[in-house]
Amino acid sequence: MRRFVPSLAALVAVAVTTLLIQLAVGRTPVANLSMLYLVAVLVVAVAYGRTAAIAASILAFLTFDWFFVPPTHQLVVADPEEVFSLALFLITAVVTGTLAARERARANEARRGEFEATLLYEAAFRIATEPDLDRALSAVAEHFRAALDLDALGIEVDPESLARPVIAARDDTSREALRSTGTELRLMEPHGTSRSVRIVGPRAITGDRARRVRVVPISVSGNRVGRLQVLPRPDVADLGPSDERMLAIAGAQLGLAIERARLRKGAVDAEVLRRADELKTELLHAVSHELRTPLASILASAGSLRQRDVAWTERERDEFASAIQDEALRLDRVVGNLLDLSRIENGNLVPHKAWHDVGALVEDVAGKMRPITAGHTVRLDVPEDLPPVELDYVEIQQVLSNLVENAAKFSPRGTEIGIRVAQDDGSMRFEVSDHGPGIPAAEADRIFAPFVRLQRAGQATRGVGLGLAIAKRFVEAHAGTIWVDRRAIDGARVVFTLPVQPSGG
Amino acid sequence: MVRTLRTNLRGHGFQVETAETASEAKASYDRRPPDLVVLDINLPDGDGFEIVRHIRERSGTPIIVLSARGGERDKVSALDLGADDYMTKPFGIDELLARIRVALRHLARPATGAERRIRTGELVVDLERREVTVAGRQVHLTPTEYDLLKVFLTNPNKVLTDRMLLQQVWGPDYGDESHYLHVYVARLRRKIETDPQAPKHLLTEPGVGYRLRSEDL
Repeated sequence: MRRFVPSLAALVAVAVTTLLIQLAVGRTPVANLSMLYLVAVLVVAVAYGRTAAIAASILAFLTFDWFFVPPTHQLVVADPEEVFSLALFLITAVVTGTLAARERARANEARRGEFEATLLYEAAFRIATEPDLDRALSAVAEHFRAALDLDALGIEVDPESLARPVIAARDDTSREALRSTGTELRLMEPHGTSRSVRIVGPRAITGDRARRVRVVPISVSGNRVGRLQVLPRPDVADLGPSDERMLAIAGAQLGLAIERARLRKGAVDAEVLRRADELKTELLHAVSHELRTPLASILASAGSLRQRDVAWTERERDEFASAIQDEALRLDRVVGNLLDLSRIENGNLVPHKAWHDVGALVEDVAGKMRPITAGHTVRLDVPEDLPPVELDYVEIQQVLSNLVENAAKFSPRGTEIGIRVAQDDGSMRFEVSDHGPGIPAAEADRIFAPFVRLQRAGQATRGVGLGLAIAKRFVEAHAGTIWVDRRAIDGARVVFTLPVQPSGG
Repeated sequence: MVRTLRTNLRGHGFQVETAETASEAKASYDRRPPDLVVLDINLPDGDGFEIVRHIRERSGTPIIVLSARGGERDKVSALDLGADDYMTKPFGIDELLARIRVALRHLARPATGAERRIRTGELVVDLERREVTVAGRQVHLTPTEYDLLKVFLTNPNKVLTDRMLLQQVWGPDYGDESHYLHVYVARLRRKIETDPQAPKHLLTEPGVGYRLRSEDL
C-alpha cells in the first residue's frame, strides 16, 4: 500500500491544480497557467521524492495538453509553438522536480545522519561512563530499542562476561517473546558459521502470530563475542537498511565495550592478586618482627648470663632472668594469638563455659599484664556485688589481655589505663580505656579485621594486628558484642558485653 | 631489650644512658653526647633514621644500628646516612660487645691521614709510593683497585655500602652500578687475599656492602 503513496500524491496534486486552473481560465492567459503545474510538481517532489516528482511532471504535461492546449481534449497539438512550450514545460518540470527531490533526500539524509550520530554518541557515552557492564548494556539496549522503535532488543554475551542476557522491551509480552526465542536460539546456534550481519532467526511466538527475530552478531576484531536479538514492531514488515546499519554499528560498539570490560576485569583480578601478595609479605614481615623482637631480648639476656668476663651481681642476674621470662611470655602471647586465629579461621571455636567470678578474672588479667603495663597506672573499677557469669575463662581473659595490651602499647607512659565492669540489663559490660591518641571514627569498625593496624603519621606500626580480631571472635562466640565507644573523648575506649543468664537454673 | 643491654653494658664497665623514643634519644644526645650510640632503627615513635641524621649533623660519634632480619634496605639507608655498623636481631651479646669495642678503639686511634704506611696483618700499603705488598711480596694494582683499597683502609672495620664505595671511588654520579664494584672487589681479593674464596680482609656484608676487617687498625 505504502508503495503507491507517491503516485497517488502526484495524481491528487495534478488533479487539484487542474481544478484550480479550470476555475481561473478566462481571467489569465493560458500559457502562464503552466507555472501552477510546476508548483504542484515542486510540492510533490519535496513531500514524496523523485519518483513522485517525475510522475507528477508527466501527468501534468499530459493533463495540461489535454485540457488547455488547443485542440483541447486531444493529445494532439495544433500550433508548433505550443509543442515547443509544452516540451519546455516537461523538461523544466522534470528537472526542477528532480532537483527538489534531491534536496529533500539530502535533508533527510542529514537528519538521519544526525540522528544516528546522536544515538551512537549517547550509546558510546553510556558505555564509557558506566563501569558495570550489566548496567551499561541494559542502558544501551533500552537506548537503541527506543530510538529504533523496536518491540524488544536483547544482548547476549558469553556467560563469563555477562551472567544472563540483557533484554530491553516495550512491554512484558515483548520481553517474553524475545526471551523464549533466546533460549531456542542458543540451542540451535551453529558454531561460528554465521557470516552475514543479517541472520534470520526463528520466530518469536506472541499471541497467535509468529514473528521473526533478527540476530545481529557482536564481534571484536573478527571474533564473535555475542549477539543482538531484535524484535521489530509487528506492523513493521522488516527493518530498513539504515536501521540495519545502526544495529551493525551498535554490535561493533558493544563488542568494544565487552572487550573493555573483560580487560578491566583481568586488570582487577591481577590487582587483587598483587594486593593479596603484598598483604602476605607484610604479614610475614610483621609476624617475624613480632616474634624476633622478644627472641632478640631473650638471646641477649641469656648471652649476658653466660658471660664469664663479668661477675654479675644477684640483682643483675635476676634482671636478665626476668627479662627472659617477660619476653618469653610475650612470645607466647604472640604465638597464642596466631594459633587462636588459625583455630578461629578453621571454625573450631566452641567456648568451654563455666561459672566464673568476674572480679577475680579482671584482677587476674591486671596481674598477668603487669610487666606490660609497668609504665602506666592501671585503675580497676569492678563493683563488689557482680553475679557470676558463664564464660570460657581462658578466652575472655585473652580478650581482656589483648585490650589492655593495646591500651598500654598505644598510650603514652605515665597515663592511666582503666578497666571497668558493670552490669547492664541482661548483660555484663566490660570497658578498657586509655589516654592515647584514640581510634578515628572512620576506623572504628575496620580495626576488628585481622591484620589491620592503624597507621599514624610519624609512627612505626607495631604488632601483627591480631589482638582485636581475636577479641571480636571470642566475644562473638559468647553471643556478645564488641565495639569502639565513639564517645570516648581523650583516648580509646573498647567495650564488650556478654549475656548474663540467671545462674544455677 | 633496653633493660638487658643496659645491665650488660654497665656490667662491662660502660656508662649507659637509655632512651625509649626518638625524641628522648635526640634530647639525651644533645644534653651529653656519648662516645658511641647503639640504635634500634625500629622505634615506637617513628624514625630511627632521623636520629642517625641528627647525630651526623653534629658529630662523627660511632653509631651501631640494630635492625630486624630482612630489613636490608633499612640497614643500607642507615649506613648511607652515616651509621658505622649494624647488627641483625637476634644477635649474640658477645658479638655486639666486640663491635662496640672495635668502634671505640677506632675512635681512640683515629686515622690521621698523615701516615705513610698502613699495615694490617700481612698487608702493607705504602701511601707515598702507592706500593702494596702482601707478606713481603709486591702486588701490582690498577689505579681503580688501589683507590678502592685505600677507601677500605681509611675506614677499617666499618661497613661500607655499595653506594658509598661507588661514590668515593668512581665519583658522585655513581651509586647503582653495584656490578662494577663486585668485579673490582673480586679482583682485589685475588691480589691481596691468601685465599680469595675465604677472604680475611675484605668481607662481604650480604645485601649491604663490604667491610675491611682489621685487628691492627
